[in-house]
Amino acid sequence: MKFLKRYPLIPSAFFAVGLYLAILPFGTTKASLLDFVKPEPAPNAEIIDLEAFSRIPVLRGGRVKPLDSVARNTLLVLRNKRTALDQNGTKIPAISWLANVLLNPEEADRLKTFVIDHDQVLGLLNRKLVRDGKYYSYNELKPFLEEIDKSARDSGKLEREKQDSFDQNIIDLYRSVLLYRKLKHTLSPPAPPPGTKMTEDLDLVTFFFDSARDKDRTDEYSRFRSITDAISQDPSTIRIGSDAFAKVVFLLDHYSRSNLWSEFFPVPPELGDQKKRWRKVGESLVGEEPLDSEQKRNLDPTQFASLLQDLVRTERGPLLERVNFILTKEKLNPTALFAAQYAEAIKLRTGIDPILSLYEKLRQAYVANDPTGFNEAVSLIRELCEKRAPDQVTKIGFEKTFNEYEPFYRSSVAYIIIFLSSCLSWFCLTINTPKFNAQHSKSFKNVAYHLTLIILIAHTFGLLGRMYIEGRPPVTNLYSSALFIGWGAVLLCWFTEKYVRLGIASSMGAMVGFGSLVIAHNLSLDSSLNPTGDTMEMMRAVLDSNFWLATHVVTVTIGYSTTFLAGFLGLAYIFYYFIHQVLVSDNSDNKLSTLLSSSRKQLEKTLGSMIFGITCFSLFFSLVGTVLGGIWADQSWGRFWGWDAKENGALLIVIWNAIILHARWAGIAKIRGIACLAIFGNVVTAWSWFGTNMLGVGLHSYGFMDKAFNPLMSFIVSQMVFICVAYMVTPICLLFRKKQPFLK
Amino acid sequence: MNNQSKKKKSAYTVGARQKAFPWVVPFASVRLTLTLLSLSMILIFVATLEQVRIGIRGAQAEYFESFYGIWYYPEQFWGGSFLSVVPLPIPGGYLLGGLLIINLIAAFVTRFQWSGKKIGIQIIHLGIILLLIGQMTTQAIQVESRMQINKGESSDYIERFHGVELALTDVTDANRSKVVSIPEELLKPGSTLRVPGFPFKVRVKAFGPNCSFDFKESAAQRSKITMDVNRGIGASANLSLSPRDEDYSNDAANFGYLVFQLVNGSEELGTWLAVAHPAGNDRWKFVHTKLEGMAFQPLRHEGRLWGVELRSIREYLPYSIELLKIENEFYQGTDIPHNFESHVNLNLESGQKRKALVYMNTPLRHGGKTFYQYQMNKAADYTVFQVIRNPSWLVPYIACILLSVGLLWQFSFHLINFLRKQSKVSA
Repeated sequence: MKFLKRYPLIPSAFFAVGLYLAILPFGTTKASLLDFVKPEPAPNAEIIDLEAFSRIPVLRGGRVKPLDSVARNTLLVLRNKRTALDQNGTKIPAISWLANVLLNPEEADRLKTFVIDHDQVLGLLNRKLVRDGKYYSYNELKPFLEEIDKSARDSGKLEREKQDSFDQNIIDLYRSVLLYRKLKHTLSPPAPPPGTKMTEDLDLVTFFFDSARDKDRTDEYSRFRSITDAISQDPSTIRIGSDAFAKVVFLLDHYSRSNLWSEFFPVPPELGDQKKRWRKVGESLVGEEPLDSEQKRNLDPTQFASLLQDLVRTERGPLLERVNFILTKEKLNPTALFAAQYAEAIKLRTGIDPILSLYEKLRQAYVANDPTGFNEAVSLIRELCEKRAPDQVTKIGFEKTFNEYEPFYRSSVAYIIIFLSSCLSWFCLTINTPKFNAQHSKSFKNVAYHLTLIILIAHTFGLLGRMYIEGRPPVTNLYSSALFIGWGAVLLCWFTEKYVRLGIASSMGAMVGFGSLVIAHNLSLDSSLNPTGDTMEMMRAVLDSNFWLATHVVTVTIGYSTTFLAGFLGLAYIFYYFIHQVLVSDNSDNKLSTLLSSSRKQLEKTLGSMIFGITCFSLFFSLVGTVLGGIWADQSWGRFWGWDAKENGALLIVIWNAIILHARWAGIAKIRGIACLAIFGNVVTAWSWFGTNMLGVGLHSYGFMDKAFNPLMSFIVSQMVFICVAYMVTPICLLFRKKQPFLK
Repeated sequence: MNNQSKKKKSAYTVGARQKAFPWVVPFASVRLTLTLLSLSMILIFVATLEQVRIGIRGAQAEYFESFYGIWYYPEQFWGGSFLSVVPLPIPGGYLLGGLLIINLIAAFVTRFQWSGKKIGIQIIHLGIILLLIGQMTTQAIQVESRMQINKGESSDYIERFHGVELALTDVTDANRSKVVSIPEELLKPGSTLRVPGFPFKVRVKAFGPNCSFDFKESAAQRSKITMDVNRGIGASANLSLSPRDEDYSNDAANFGYLVFQLVNGSEELGTWLAVAHPAGNDRWKFVHTKLEGMAFQPLRHEGRLWGVELRSIREYLPYSIELLKIENEFYQGTDIPHNFESHVNLNLESGQKRKALVYMNTPLRHGGKTFYQYQMNKAADYTVFQVIRNPSWLVPYIACILLSVGLLWQFSFHLINFLRKQSKVSA
């Protein structure tokens, strides 16, 4: 009650909406904060339970993750969205799209999966953007695959700097098609084209899976096993010219090559595997290739056959030892290496992994729309994964809920509410009518302040969630640096607003927060930065040091964040200054100009000290962070400072912050000057954050990208325009004022 | 008593110090600081851009390790066709760094208040002076080398990344070889060098830091500088060299070359040619079988046998490192490296053996040198360490501590004041 009295209706409504956005499910973000503590929902036996299906763990991009993440990440690459569309344009959740791709590809080929928005690329497909839209299904692309392939190859031959937007778009499309096809074949190795001479000669025409004859693919796998078993029992057939041997060589080659057509690793580590390797379907049948398949050309066939025969004759125990010996000691001998793999496939890998049969059951149940069979297969697969990789599947459920909670998406929407709320507070103050007065203004400011804290919780939870899943400090790549920059700025704004309740810090914090989340989203779409669509990719060995990631990277990123914040406060001041100058020069006697004039001194003082204080923070964090980076470099490469592009960028921020502070201490720049210097700080930081990555030189170029060139340039130009406005507004207003009597 | 102490203190006030050293005052000006800092920004920005064109080492030599650099606006930029003709002088790292040090020291003398309240400021600036001096000395004295070891073997020397030497190894006694080396500074075309313990004089005909080479049919087809070569591999393989500029980029491979004549009194013994492989002369066999002998061109005279080679500058160590095992792992299903590590034995002079593990972010430090995991070849089973000797490595650490302490002190002072004021206002 007291709350309602203190807060009028509209601000309270804003507060409620913000609170709702931070915690509860809405739109496509299906999970609420509560879902993290709730146990997994009980399976619904009546329907095909994709919820449980989405929690099946697989290994992709070096990390074990739920199928749900695979679905969302690949769709992000293919369609730039986390959903697909059916023929009528209705949204389909990522996981049901993936279920179709993996289990019922004919249906998946009809779904609109690919985004193509480049006119020329569409022209290649005889499509028009306005008429046909930008989303296409695999079936629609099918007739043009050869053309896409050819154009992409031609474009790929050009150097990167010489590629134009068509080249890049066609290469992207080519990669998308490839990714889609790999995904489709992950659980079903493609059979060689029927009727080839090779299959006929070897009497393998009826070997491969045929839905008319076979129950499922395990029949094909059993046929393969019976062939290898036969040869293992009679090693004398391993010789050049023997049919059985030729068959085995052909099939082993076939399954090895099928691994290239597999996007992720669905088979959990085999019990007793020290290295805990996940496997692809082909690898589960024939083991891993020791070298690139190309190297098979360098084999000595006679030697290969005799060595393989010798290996297969060996008992299983000693054979394992011999295989390991070859793999470690004969690394330059392709003949021995491949013989070791073939021996392993023939003698050591017997039977069919139960997980393969389970996936086949899953497929049949899905196609037949049999909920009981499907749900049973899902739960058996999950049980088996848990048994075989108990320590790798602990975070699967969390990641699934985290995907659905979408903390950064909801935070970015909520930041808009905070910004609006602050704007309304100034609006109320300006018009000052009984309905919208200073009291309302105050409530709006308070709403913005309290909402900031609540949204910060969602944003912070997002960062912590990523840290938990990855087991890493918050900043590991360009994407996460954007998340963190926004978070740091908002946190600092909340503290500032706590002491200086003007709504300025809230609104600027919301702007930086929103902006950085939008940047993060766009970074996640950049296929050159993020080829798998997973923003939690693995760290390169050089960067793989949690201690330095936590100290150097975090500190430097806070430095970026605070420098941006100071710059945005500078923008706020220039905005205020602009309105003030225009109104005052107008000589009009309206409420706003009196209000602005009366508050000018106080506001300038407060804003000035806010910019100054935050710049102090910036200098501290950027300087300490940069020096820590030097120490990391000294520890890892033996040089404290190497004039690397990214290092130089960080140094520029340090020097610029030092310039701002010295200019103020020496009294050379007053409030307007400081504001403009702080705005230029935005340019320096943007250069250091993105510009240096575009040069493509140096050790830090892991985040190389060039698509952001135009946005970066526009940002820099916009900042320069603000600086010009700050210095031009007074002379221009004077010019106009002089003209007025003349006009009258 | 009280008066006396006040008088004593007054000698240390800013005014008194300014009176005592009036000539220092202009050097201590904040405007000078601001100018220098702004110029440093231009220097760093330009030098960063230039890395694309001339590589990090090139930019370092042109801008940071010099007093000034000349910059041409890049042609491919907006308006580049007009602007790229104008040469723009950019103040270099030594100039700005030196002036900043002077400016800072002058500020210590005549501008900073020597009081406890401002001690943070003094500590910060002391840290910055240390950083500047540390970086300048590092650039002057740090030496970067590499050490390559094959699995199961050990190595007791390191090779510089840049710079070559002519090595004459006397191997007459199979058990004890004697090496004399001539550093590249002495290899000036036209000069004749007398080498101790070597019966001949070396007359340098051509020398350069980088070249390209190919095989010709006959001596007449060879390039001008290699035309006269009539002994060794240069003659037998009909090798023709064309000089090239030194490549400063990161992944540069510079093939230093030397064409020289051996002279015995007034008798000319013939002209040889030697080319240094940037990754070590034992790599020549992978380039071409004809060039395998580049690591050891034999020279016989009066029953003695020498091997001649041009190689990266070598430094022999009193200890050796033996490579036991290498590991190189990738994250499954990706090409992202997960771990590189070399298991080594450090064999000391005293006969002591120490096992060590060298991997990313964890180098091996011994005898003033640091060995970092640099490259690795899993198939060919060898590892390469980057070896650094930098006696001033501790300076940045001290500077870093000073800076952090100073900044924390000063800014918490400001922050507490600010918060105190605000709470007063809101009360």
